[in-house]
Amino acid sequence: MFGAGAAGACGEALQGATRTIEGKGYVVAFKTVPDPIAVGEHFALDFAVCPRAKGEAPRSVRVDAGMPEHRHGMNYRPVVTRRSTGAYRADGLMFHMPGRWDLVFDVVGDGGTERLTGTMRIE
Amino acid sequence: MRRLVPALVALLAVGAAAQTTGVLPFSISEVARILAHGPWPPLPRKDPSNRVSGNAAAIAFGATLFGDPRLSVNGAIACATCHRADRALADGLPRAQGLARVDRNTPTVADAHLQRWFGWDGAGDSLWAQSLRPIVDPREMGSDLAHIAATVRGNADLLRGYRDAFGAPPAADDEAVAVDVAKALAAFQETLTTGRTPFDDFRDALARGDQATAARYPLAAQRGLALFIGKGQCNVCHIGPRFSNGEFHDIGIPFFAGPGRVDPGRFDGVRRLEASRYNLLGPFNDDPTRGTATGTRHVASEHRNFGEFKVPSLRNVARTAPYMHNGSLATLRDVVRHYSEIDEDRLHADGERILKPLRLSAAESDDLVAFLESLDEGGP
Repeated sequence: MFGAGAAGACGEALQGATRTIEGKGYVVAFKTVPDPIAVGEHFALDFAVCPRAKGEAPRSVRVDAGMPEHRHGMNYRPVVTRRSTGAYRADGLMFHMPGRWDLVFDVVGDGGTERLTGTMRIE
Repeated sequence: MRRLVPALVALLAVGAAAQTTGVLPFSISEVARILAHGPWPPLPRKDPSNRVSGNAAAIAFGATLFGDPRLSVNGAIACATCHRADRALADGLPRAQGLARVDRNTPTVADAHLQRWFGWDGAGDSLWAQSLRPIVDPREMGSDLAHIAATVRGNADLLRGYRDAFGAPPAADDEAVAVDVAKALAAFQETLTTGRTPFDDFRDALARGDQATAARYPLAAQRGLALFIGKGQCNVCHIGPRFSNGEFHDIGIPFFAGPGRVDPGRFDGVRRLEASRYNLLGPFNDDPTRGTATGTRHVASEHRNFGEFKVPSLRNVARTAPYMHNGSLATLRDVVRHYSEIDEDRLHADGERILKPLRLSAAESDDLVAFLESLDEGGP
């Protein structure tokens, strides 16, 4: 689930981050570009991935999204690029229906992959 | 959302007064969903992938070409043969008839310029690329690049139109000339925007809290609208001012195209898009930033795309019968019945789970049809 606001070190690592997702080993802070997004329009995500105390830096990150109630994903495959240490952009997302979308970050570290999932609603 | 708040506050008053003014008491949430289907028409916007988009001379040249059968191999078929002005820029046939009968219904080109993907399977990612496809399809106009270029070079009226549109005579490269012809056709089609409808007047009246004007919208259409955004959830896919999310879905229409043949729909559309030399990632996109190619760059090919077809716009839908990708449903009432009684066994086994039989009553079906008929620039 999303953390309470964009507070915390990871939120501060990404200027303008509007949401955070807290996992066991990592915290993700992100914002959509543009903000807000519209149904059926492409958007990007700027995000930061922060290891928790004594955690390891991620080796790579994948981003995806889907509508669990409808049992489908996006019709587009985002591409993630690293912009600086711990900061990334995912391009090519689109939510093509209104409703609840699960946004998924798969953070790959030396110890395996951790999945962080947050929920977004778009009307 | 913030900009809608004043309108929504005004609408509460509309709802409270509904029973005496002839406006149904739509909730704030319902009003927000209604407002999402406008405003109309959209602001004019040039296509950066087409250097003659919005160019008056190119629009005039494209209008000439649209009605000109000389582009076809037999000199008898024009774009306007299937996209007829007296048929809302469709043809009224179940399946298009060019040099041969094709497997799909002719979609209208009205408002086509507002789409992301073109054709029932979205194999085209620009209006100009889509405009070239039927000219060279052997079942439709049966032409080729050399014939298109020779026709322009060899006819004084077309040569003049080309020069006016592009500022230079046609190049020696047949392919470049043929793509330019397609871009002039696209420039013309960008002008084919449908007019305002009774729904638009209702929607805008709701937005400004104008009870008197909103009350002129027939109650049957209002009840149908309530079904459309409520029980029917039609607006999950038919969303936005065009009443389409521009994407692809399996709605249980059989995709057998004939004995031993199937129409793979979007599955094949993505394959053809990616293989096309005329897609927006290719050399003919006039947008040097390739900012227009985001969808093409990121489109995903999934097994579930098999049998998916594009969600059509519903503007002027009462004029574009028959319906569905294969023209298999003759009337709007048939379409409503399809969704009311949809056979879930016909949906892709590993596809999305959105559709359920709506089980509409006869009165509800009438209301939904009344709403669809109100999306018409001529009335009711």
